[in-house]
Amino acid sequence: MKSNLSTVSRSATVHTKPRFSIAKPLVYLLLGILFVTQLYPLIWLGIYSLKNNEEILSGSFFSLPAVPQWVNFQNAIEAGNYFRYLSNSVFVTTVTMACVLLLSSLVAFAISRFRWRYGQIVMLVFLVGMMIPMQATLLPLMIIFKNLSLLNTHASIILPYIAFQTPIAVFILSGFMKSIPNEIEESAIIDGAGIFRIFRSIIMPVSIPPMMTVCILTFINIWNEYILAATFISSERLKTLPFGVYSFVSQYSVNYGAIGAFLVLGALPVILIYFLLADKITKGMVAGAVKG
Amino acid sequence: MTTMKRILKLALTGTLALSLAACGAANKPATTGGTEGEGAKETGSKPQNITITFQNIYPDPTDPKQGMLKKIVKQYEEMHPNVKIELDSLNTDQQKLKLKTQAASKEVPDITIVNPAAQMQPFVEAGLLAPLNDMVEKNGLKDTFQEGILDWYTFDGNLYALSDGNNIGLVYYNKELFEQGGVEVPTTFEEMIEVVKALKAKGIQPMAIGEKDTWTGSFLFMNMLLRTNGPGFLQQVVDGSKTFEDPAFIEAVDAFQNLVQAGAFQEGATSFDYNAGENLFKTGKAAMYYMGSWATGGIEASSVDGKVGVFKFPTINGKGNPDEFMLAPGSAFAISANSKHLEETKDFLNYFMLNFPKEAFEVRGAVGIAQKVDGDFKAAGYSDMAMEVLSMFKDVKGGDIAFDNTMNSGTAQVHLTSIQNLFVQKKDPAEVAKEHQDGYESNIKK
Amino acid sequence: MKVLRVSKLTIALFVLPCLLLYICLVFVPILVSLYSGLLDWNGIGESTFVGLENFTNLFFNDKVFWPAVKRTLMFAVFSMAEIPIALFIAILLNRFIRRPNFLVSSYFLPVILSVVIIGQLWMTIYNPASMGGMLNQILEALNLKSWTRSWLTDPAIAMYSIYFVALWQYLGYHTLIQFTGIQNIPADLYEAAKIDGAEGLKADWHITFPMNIPIFKISIVLAFIGSLQAFDMIMVMTGGGPANATDVIATHMYNMSFKSMKYGYGSSIAAFLVGVCLVATIIINYLFNRLERKYS
Repeated sequence: MKSNLSTVSRSATVHTKPRFSIAKPLVYLLLGILFVTQLYPLIWLGIYSLKNNEEILSGSFFSLPAVPQWVNFQNAIEAGNYFRYLSNSVFVTTVTMACVLLLSSLVAFAISRFRWRYGQIVMLVFLVGMMIPMQATLLPLMIIFKNLSLLNTHASIILPYIAFQTPIAVFILSGFMKSIPNEIEESAIIDGAGIFRIFRSIIMPVSIPPMMTVCILTFINIWNEYILAATFISSERLKTLPFGVYSFVSQYSVNYGAIGAFLVLGALPVILIYFLLADKITKGMVAGAVKG
Repeated sequence: MTTMKRILKLALTGTLALSLAACGAANKPATTGGTEGEGAKETGSKPQNITITFQNIYPDPTDPKQGMLKKIVKQYEEMHPNVKIELDSLNTDQQKLKLKTQAASKEVPDITIVNPAAQMQPFVEAGLLAPLNDMVEKNGLKDTFQEGILDWYTFDGNLYALSDGNNIGLVYYNKELFEQGGVEVPTTFEEMIEVVKALKAKGIQPMAIGEKDTWTGSFLFMNMLLRTNGPGFLQQVVDGSKTFEDPAFIEAVDAFQNLVQAGAFQEGATSFDYNAGENLFKTGKAAMYYMGSWATGGIEASSVDGKVGVFKFPTINGKGNPDEFMLAPGSAFAISANSKHLEETKDFLNYFMLNFPKEAFEVRGAVGIAQKVDGDFKAAGYSDMAMEVLSMFKDVKGGDIAFDNTMNSGTAQVHLTSIQNLFVQKKDPAEVAKEHQDGYESNIKK
Repeated sequence: MKVLRVSKLTIALFVLPCLLLYICLVFVPILVSLYSGLLDWNGIGESTFVGLENFTNLFFNDKVFWPAVKRTLMFAVFSMAEIPIALFIAILLNRFIRRPNFLVSSYFLPVILSVVIIGQLWMTIYNPASMGGMLNQILEALNLKSWTRSWLTDPAIAMYSIYFVALWQYLGYHTLIQFTGIQNIPADLYEAAKIDGAEGLKADWHITFPMNIPIFKISIVLAFIGSLQAFDMIMVMTGGGPANATDVIATHMYNMSFKSMKYGYGSSIAAFLVGVCLVATIIINYLFNRLERKYS
């Protein structure tokens, strides 16, 4: 691995040409089936969001709504407070992602590239928390935030989100940074670059691919997170998207159609951004590698 | 706890503040539930602006109940411009979890929701709830409540919560499907089994249940136990005069199994949650549905409206009195003992509860509320079925409350699981009894 | 050998912000949980110190616990077994599709959908045929009535039904991660291999697989984390039922801490989780160090 990274630049875009042409249709079939099974939920959700409760609960898999219930969307947007929750979610997620990336890449850099005694211990400390479910720490966190008067603020969810995402981020980033060849730094040091410059203009750009992975990981763990948010946030104006979803669940009744509509609305911006950026993400990886 | 808290506080406050600054993510808003407004203690003539946090379980903006809640809150805010009521509306499970977490750090919101009897006892014992004895006397609020309902929320002579509901368990049935199946309303449990078999033979789903939510099966089971033993079985166990291995308990398990084995419930019942289960009845796919009377409103609003009647759960082996019901005192509004604005909160809740019956009546949600309603139900458009349910309330001659309202939570979980298990496999009733007894013994305080 | 010699201050600047936040909000709460595991405490009122009683009860008297551990580990095994499949798909995508990004992205979709909707979707697939369950209806239409099952309510198979949903949901996720790895393998390695006569699957065995080992490790760790934390999906689909047949460590912990109000006991389960996590991390690290050494 080590010696190869410098040549990364010419990789990604070049594909080895497939030889066996008989295999081709089979491959397309397989990938096509996968495409359908993975994409179908979204279509299903779209149909679901236009049904009324009875149609949804009668549970047929393929059926269409008798009359499209656009009111579900109206409910989701107006009654469900969609735009406020969306902007809160975007804010919380963005801040979390930015902090996770910055903080964990600093640590990962230190662990993987600095010559110091306690690197492994720090890594171990992080590993201990890597697999702990957030629910296990609800009570202690409550006490901490109460004493810091942070309850019912965005900080009360952003901070634990960051803290819970850093172990895996450090794990991924340090694993990657270890594989960056030493010669790069050596030459940078000879050029007289300081530690921060090495970090900013050498390590960071090369590390874009694992950083994308960290971003995606953080995103999927945070975007739909409800238990922590519901426990620490009480004010309407601070609530995030999952509150909107669960607001249609009452003690003795559930408005499934509105939930469906809310989920469609919640997923749409994400999917749009993701597909728009999908190409850029890969290009970003390659571009980053060129600089290395 | 307190020492642990102190250590935590010392250790964390400093260090965290540091990393907070580093992160720059702290965007603390100016107004939070309890932190500001300490000046309320001042005796100035000008009222301080205060915020009361009202945690509740009416999150659905498309549900008339939330509309009702918001309406009363708005009225109150208009009358008291210095008071802001902040609604923290959560779904039931999440509210329970949140309250338990908050309780651990004595951070209970000004108003919250608790469940009756054994379920709220830990909160009362920990001194988290404020007694409402004085408040309930104000403006004649106490007299609006039905006889005896507040007893479920009273400990050592102190009232700690005001109930939003008072329901009974009964069997809803679909008259059309009963006709198709050629069956009559059963008057004994044995007849009920026959009805189930007859319906089944005609291809009609006899009963619906949402047993993924384990309390539904337990609620039905407890009604059977009420028949085979008479009221107060669990209390007798707690008092030590009976055990779960009592013949009456075993008989109830046996009867329950008979019902399951006769094929009363839909296939895969344990994966149906409350709503999915009830929906089978509401869409005319099941002939009977045992549930608390709170289901009335939902059934009225469904496609089977007008075809539904109700009957009392029948006697088992000739035992029991059908006029003894499963009683379901509802979730209730409680006030935090540590509320920064105790008086204002009490005043608001007093106002809220005084207006509750009238507003509930208007949104047709007054069947099974805990307060007396004056109003002509018939004229207000309540259905015949609702009238039938209301008249059944008049027959109530006592009964039992749900398992988890009587027993500690640990034992309740053992019970709920054990009953759910009967839906997927046949078991020896004595073994079920033993399971309960073991569960009970391992969960009582030594 | 690491080359950067830096001052203590620099190390502190790089490490402390993150480490402090992590220690305050994750590490200390875990330690508190470990301590709570020694208490008889309902989470609200007074607590009594009971030493290791919770642990002895957990290990020797709890009928739900060991089966739940077993299910969690099975969950992990299945999730890990999925990774080679994901790698295979990633290879196919990389080799046969001109613009694979769109496909990779769409495979990834189920992960970003809320479990609420995933649960609803799969319930309509798994339900009994009479309730509109798609799978059973298809089996009946194919004259395979004897194959129909109560997928979510038969204690013997309910857990497998849930594993399958998780595998389906996370297939795209692992594919994406593997795909990212493959994209970063230098093309000239394949060119060189071609000259040596290694192409197609053979080239994959000698190049793609060993080059992707670090990515493999990430996937394995993520799969393990996912299994230990499996909670929402189970809560939505079966609630741990019927009769605990689908309880895993995380749901058992939740039930004990918050439903049975035995917070101390629940914390002892959390402590056990920390232990499992440490052991797993050590094993994974050890195995991969050997693997990496073998291939480098």
